[in-house]
Amino acid sequence: MISKDELEYLAQISKINLSEDEAKKFPEQLDKTIEYIDILEELASDDSNVLDLQEMKFDELRDDVVRMSGALRITKNLTEDGFLRGPKMK
Amino acid sequence: MSGLHNLLAHEVVEGIKEGLFTAEEYVSTVIKTIEDVESKLNSFITLDTERALSSAKLIDRKIKENEDIGYLGGVAVGIKDNISTKDIRTTCASKMLEDYVPSYDATVIRNLKQNGAIILGKLNLDEFGMGSTTEYSRYHPTHNPWNLDYVPGGSSGGCGAAVAAGECTVSLGSDTGGSIRCPASFCSVVGLKPTYGRVSRYGLISYANSLEQIGPICRSVKDIVLIMNIISGKDNSDNTSMSSSPITINNKLDKFDIAIVKELINGGDHEVTGTVYSASDKFKEIGCTCDEISIKNLHYALPSYYTLASAEASSNLARYDNIRYGFHLPIEEYKWDTYFSNVRKNFGEEVKRRILIGSYVLSSGYYSKYYLKARSLRSLLKLELLKLFKKYDLLIGPTMPILPFKFGEKIDDPIKMYLVDINTVIANLAGIPAISLPVGFSNGLPIGLQLMAAPFEEQKLIDVSYALENTINIQRRPSLT
Repeated sequence: MISKDELEYLAQISKINLSEDEAKKFPEQLDKTIEYIDILEELASDDSNVLDLQEMKFDELRDDVVRMSGALRITKNLTEDGFLRGPKMK
Repeated sequence: MSGLHNLLAHEVVEGIKEGLFTAEEYVSTVIKTIEDVESKLNSFITLDTERALSSAKLIDRKIKENEDIGYLGGVAVGIKDNISTKDIRTTCASKMLEDYVPSYDATVIRNLKQNGAIILGKLNLDEFGMGSTTEYSRYHPTHNPWNLDYVPGGSSGGCGAAVAAGECTVSLGSDTGGSIRCPASFCSVVGLKPTYGRVSRYGLISYANSLEQIGPICRSVKDIVLIMNIISGKDNSDNTSMSSSPITINNKLDKFDIAIVKELINGGDHEVTGTVYSASDKFKEIGCTCDEISIKNLHYALPSYYTLASAEASSNLARYDNIRYGFHLPIEEYKWDTYFSNVRKNFGEEVKRRILIGSYVLSSGYYSKYYLKARSLRSLLKLELLKLFKKYDLLIGPTMPILPFKFGEKIDDPIKMYLVDINTVIANLAGIPAISLPVGFSNGLPIGLQLMAAPFEEQKLIDVSYALENTINIQRRPSLT
């Protein structure tokens, strides 16, 4: 069973505040999911049979062309002078 | 003019070109259909009907001036709301993106527009594509047009319902673990998940990049071909995209060797199994062979899928910090970390669960136990499938092991909900193409047949689906009056 501390840790590294209701019901639900994927333990675990799923060529690079991103329209957190504003670090 | 919303895409283009009706008349009829049925279905999150009507008038002007209107000239298209559309809000059915208006079109949207398609609006889904019913949409669930008490499937449930009900003529969905094929099956329409890399993912808002593809949901195989040839191809903005040969409609069918996958049949509802067996008998009638085979590694496919998809989701969704895009929440009272944790409360429960599971399987001590093993299974499964495709042209089974179910039946038990995807995730893990074709009904609820082929063998899927579609002649129009 995922303990209260473990759930808090997962929430912290995922940067999500959980509601009281979620903190109460998630341990059992996550446990069921983990129990379900535990079946993967039966598989031989070496990495040697991991294939590159696509035979893609990464040596052909596209031209590095500068395009307008339209970034000025994507958020309401922009100030009037075009800067993005974030919360204080400390 | 009434009834125009029932036309297939190629009939719309022909009708407009031949002057049987104008694009404006046709689009007005589709909008009238939306006005009539949308309150029952809730297929859309955002409608853009005014701009759609202006685009239709532009098509009519082009016709008058003898200009080319493109392969999709005038066709009304609905777009799943996780595909970026310039100047049309794109929410992923999430409250995290409720104010997000993209500044660019996804490559597939650009291709559609260049060919004269008219975007009618954005269609409902489970939040970020995580779900199989649309019940996880943060706006509203979509209802199944064949029975409003039932789910339409998901995550592209808005696409399935809208196309079936004539609220748009074709739609684009996305498929990470079955999200095109599931609603196609539940709503009695055709849905194709293309080979990984056939269609550019540029502008598809990422959930699990290594698994997902954009694909069409339509009312006929012919329309699937029409859309696929417009959206496929190498795109410099997506390094995983590849060029491929166009697909066509062939009236003469080659003799194909087909295999039913036992594991996909076993354990399904008996109505579904029976209908799939009857459909397989039709294969013999149209000159194909049909064996039964087993896939050894199938047992591990779903746990692998949920491990990989959650891992990728936890990484992809880390970008939602509400600074660059998101909803409006002033920053003044917060510090850096508390602001992020606080705004990310706005994700729905299922998204949070998957992010947490993803963080878990990627964390130290569990990475090799879950994530590496899931990747390993993925390779084993692909190798096994490729071997089978040396002997068989197509592998088949029910798209969904069960009939559409009622709202609320599975929402409180994530595992029950995940099991719904058991037949569809294989194609995403292996990167192979798969189509869902309507083959029957049980108690008024649709049943879909899934056909899978080797990578880039979409033509085989189309050949057999087209022949079967003509043989079975399934009902496609639900009554919503």
